[in-house]
Amino acid sequence: MITTVQKILACQFPACAEQMGNVRHQLREALGPSGQPEAVLNHLVLAVGEACMNIIQHAYGPHDKGDILLEVEIQNVEIQKGEAQTTPEGSSWQRTLVFRLTDFALHKTCAEQMRSRPLDEIRPGGLGCHIINEVMDEVVLLDRQGGPGNVLELRKRL
Amino acid sequence: MECNVTSESGFDLIKLSGEVDLQFSPQLREKILGCLKAGHPLLIDLAKVSYIDSSGIASLVEGFQTAKTSKLQYGLLNISSTAMQVLTLTRLDKIFDLYSSTDQFKQKLQ
Repeated sequence: MITTVQKILACQFPACAEQMGNVRHQLREALGPSGQPEAVLNHLVLAVGEACMNIIQHAYGPHDKGDILLEVEIQNVEIQKGEAQTTPEGSSWQRTLVFRLTDFALHKTCAEQMRSRPLDEIRPGGLGCHIINEVMDEVVLLDRQGGPGNVLELRKRL
Repeated sequence: MECNVTSESGFDLIKLSGEVDLQFSPQLREKILGCLKAGHPLLIDLAKVSYIDSSGIASLVEGFQTAKTSKLQYGLLNISSTAMQVLTLTRLDKIFDLYSSTDQFKQKLQ
C-alpha cells in the first residue's frame, strides 16, 4: 500500500476569537484547489472553525493562553478495492483530507467532550461537536508528544 | 458582523450581515435579548449572513427560548444559503419559524 501526502496548509496562531476570520480565509484558500463543491467547502471550514472554537473555549479556557497549530494535508492511499478513484495507470486511490489541530494547553481534552449531544434538546450550546462529527468521517483525539496539549485529527474522505 | 436594530410597526427587526462567529455572537445575543426583554416581537433578517457558527446559532436559540417563555413572536427572515446549511446541519430549520417577507411575519402578529 502506497501513501502520498500533499501538505496544503500549516499555520500557527493565537487561540482567540479575533483570529478566526483570518484563519477561515486561509483555510478556504488552501482548500479551493481540492475541487470540492462550495457547499462541502462551507461545511469543512465550519467544522474546522468549530474545532478551533472548542480549543479556545475549553482546552485553553479563560485562564490559559497559547497557540493553535492547524495543518491540512491530502493523503492519497493506494487501495485494492472500494469506491476509490482510478488513475490512468489503473491504480485505485482513496483521497482523504486531514485537518490536524494541535494545542499546547495544560487541560487534557477527553474523547467524551468530543461527543455530539442529542439534538432534540433545544438549547443553546453544545452544537459544535455535532457539526464536527456530522461533517467529518473520522474524529480522533490524540495526546501531544513532547509536552502538554492535545492533537485533534479530523478526516474527510473525498 | 453588522447588526442593525430597527423598530417596525409592532415588532423589532434585526438585520444581520457578515460573519457571525465567536467574536461577535455575544453582541448578537445582547441585541436579541434586549429586544425581547423590552417585550417586542422579533424578526431577524439573515439574508446577508456569509458565515454563522454554533456560537451564533446558540444566540438565535437562546432568543427562541426567551421568546417562547415570554410568549412573543420570534422568527428568522430571508435566510442566506450559507446560514441555511448550518441550520439544516443542526436540524434547527424545523424548529425556528422561517419567513420570506416582513408582511408574512406581520400577519402572524395579528
